[in-house]
Amino acid sequence: MFTYLLKRLGLAALVVVAVLLLLFSMLHMIPGNPAILALGTRASPEAIAEYSARMHLDKPVLTQFVYFLGNAVQGDLGQDVFSNRAVTSVIGERIGFSLALICTGMGWAVLLGVPLGCLAAVRPGSWLDRVTGVFSVGMIAVPSFLVSIWALLFFSLELHWLPAIGAGEPGDLADQLSHLVLPAFAIGLGWVGYLARMVRASMLEVMGEPYIRSARAYGLQPRRVVLGYALRVAILPTITLIGMGFGGLISSAVFAEIIFSRPGVGKMIFDAVSDRNFPIVQGGVLVATGFYILVVLLSDLLIAWLDPRVRSSL
Amino acid sequence: MTLSNTTRRTFLTSAAALGAAGIFPGGVGMLRAQEGRVLNLRLDGDNSILDPGYMVGGTEIEAQKQCLPFLAEYVRNGDTFTWQPTAHVTRLEYVDDTHIEFELAPGLVWSGGHGTLKASDVAYSYARMKDSEWSGYFDALETVEVTGELTGTLVLSKPFAPFIMVTLCHGPGAIVCEAATEAAGGRFTTEFPAICGPYTYSATPGQRAVFERNPEWTGPAPGFDRVVCHVITEVQAAELAYEAGEIDCTELGPDSLARYSREMPDNTAITTAGQLQYMWMGMNTQHPKLQDLKVRQAIQHAVDVDSILAGAFAGTSAQSHGIVCPGLLGARSEHGYSYDPAKARELLAEAGVSGLQLTLRTQNWQERLLTAQIIQANLAAVGITVKILPMESGPFWEMGMEEAGDTWKELELWLMRFATVPDPYEATQWFISEQVGVWNWERWTNEEFDRLYDEGLSETDTAKREAIYFRMQEIMDETGAYVWINHEPETYAHRTDIEVVAAPSGELNYHRFRQV
Repeated sequence: MFTYLLKRLGLAALVVVAVLLLLFSMLHMIPGNPAILALGTRASPEAIAEYSARMHLDKPVLTQFVYFLGNAVQGDLGQDVFSNRAVTSVIGERIGFSLALICTGMGWAVLLGVPLGCLAAVRPGSWLDRVTGVFSVGMIAVPSFLVSIWALLFFSLELHWLPAIGAGEPGDLADQLSHLVLPAFAIGLGWVGYLARMVRASMLEVMGEPYIRSARAYGLQPRRVVLGYALRVAILPTITLIGMGFGGLISSAVFAEIIFSRPGVGKMIFDAVSDRNFPIVQGGVLVATGFYILVVLLSDLLIAWLDPRVRSSL
Repeated sequence: MTLSNTTRRTFLTSAAALGAAGIFPGGVGMLRAQEGRVLNLRLDGDNSILDPGYMVGGTEIEAQKQCLPFLAEYVRNGDTFTWQPTAHVTRLEYVDDTHIEFELAPGLVWSGGHGTLKASDVAYSYARMKDSEWSGYFDALETVEVTGELTGTLVLSKPFAPFIMVTLCHGPGAIVCEAATEAAGGRFTTEFPAICGPYTYSATPGQRAVFERNPEWTGPAPGFDRVVCHVITEVQAAELAYEAGEIDCTELGPDSLARYSREMPDNTAITTAGQLQYMWMGMNTQHPKLQDLKVRQAIQHAVDVDSILAGAFAGTSAQSHGIVCPGLLGARSEHGYSYDPAKARELLAEAGVSGLQLTLRTQNWQERLLTAQIIQANLAAVGITVKILPMESGPFWEMGMEEAGDTWKELELWLMRFATVPDPYEATQWFISEQVGVWNWERWTNEEFDRLYDEGLSETDTAKREAIYFRMQEIMDETGAYVWINHEPETYAHRTDIEVVAAPSGELNYHRFRQV
């Protein structure tokens, strides 16, 4: 298990470096002088030169990359171009909101999607199975930004049940929760469908296994057979899917954060790209990539812990 | 152990009800925007640099106007704008063309125990502005002579008529506390080192900026006790927040302005701050295809600007007649050509041009692309084929600059929009001879234009100044290089019981808002 963990950590580090290298290349392919774009079209030549020197824009791309990596290893992600604040502080102020949104979105999707998939698998061909199938495909097909807009228009503008913008009053948990409902609903809805379909398919496969037939033949309670034996095995690919799903939710959260004007890392990166605030973009992408890799790593470790066959597969 | 009269079912029911009340406070809490004297507004992003010398602008200027002293402020006079002294001064006046005397109001104190507002703070603030990123606004200022604790004189190096309107009323005219700024290291970013204005300032990045009554402020009381500015980046999201009742005032985009004009939401009024943006289609007078004046004039006659205003801007913006915007000295009510496709065809025939193919470059924004498509159809009607080239901001803003590459040589037609300040001089400065290859992408020069530009800066007689700017725009018409399109307004939707006060360039001045 320890060797497996070391191999996975090594791979994770390689992925982070590759993503950052790709990001650096993409940022430098953006047309236009980043200094002019950041400072405005009528900035003085002195201000442009000062900015370029401060951001190391006058150095080759590879040198800039090495500078960034070296500092990042020491926990220094640079400074916001405009406010001169540490990028780590800027990210620190927002990451909690993103984590709350992503975890809540995935949380309610798991709580609803997994039982729906189980129920559909236990009674294949029933009305519940068919309704679940139709709704699952529908939920998967509708993009989260559309759900966000629809939810905002209906629940905030039409019904006035839930707030439309922001993250709630600082220190007021109830207010913050009420501001979390619509965005979490919007980004999680599609995942209800994904998880229900995945769990159903896995469960149907497992339910046909000989050991399930044996369990039934021994006269075990149906609930114990489904939850205690079938679901424990069928959930393994779903754990992988959930891990990967966090990556998708990071993207969905960008739209939700923009539409609901919530603070968060996704919206921060979006705004920083528009402003050509490259240190924020680089720091934000590094943190988002790290978060995604961590979640995938945890899901892999969980699966490896649950299924010894996986440990030898790397 | 039992709980008095509490069964598992009643407990779950109660818990669910309490949870729902916490999560769904709407219905009782959603209309908090109007509670008490709290004003809820929109910020289009975090304020990153509050220091007037290094700010980005926009909402940072709005924050400065609430917390820092200014010598003058904009005031609307019918359809035009003029200035008045702020509550921070008791006197501000020109004593001659190059001297402006001021006297600060007594007893105004800086926060943090930094003493009272003094004339030396004005001298310090404006001296540091001359070395800042906004130094252009202070080119005409030679020095600030401090003549007493509260009095001083702004000495200009040459007569500069718009100094008060352009510099003192605008963000760069903010005065900082010398002692506090020096203690902060000479520059500041997201916090004011000291304030002396109607409101205090605090911000939660990514969420809001909050302005609360400054307990040390002895000047006129602001209209609201608390102003909460929510960070809402997208204007459409802000419009939805306004319609949901969560903010009391928001900027409107052209589509929403048209929609609101057709069907005004309940309890809503619209205020136009100003129209300080001018958009035109430019032509490169040095390009081989456009060197002939008759060809350029034919294009001027071929474009139906009324269709553009209706089709691309939903009829929400005023037709442009030049670079001087409505409400400013020198704004025109007509220009030197008209929509006349027959005349356009005639001019092309006289020039011996047929089968002309041109490229029209534009930023890839919805209104611009619609504008470009209408122009494409208009020019096709007179036999000119136009290819539209949508561009991202970066390369677009560099394409006419000689130092940024050779694209300027290929430029033919482009759609351009500049923003300006409430004085005509600023708009004219981009078209003088030395701006060819910088911002004068049309690449014409005219000695009379250059001379008039200098005269316009120093002329203090209003009528003579107006004549100067009329003539400068006539010269631009005569180049044939411009099709004037529109002046987009800065408009705000707000509750009917709130009086909105905004600078002509759109910055809101919260402390002058009133509940009516």
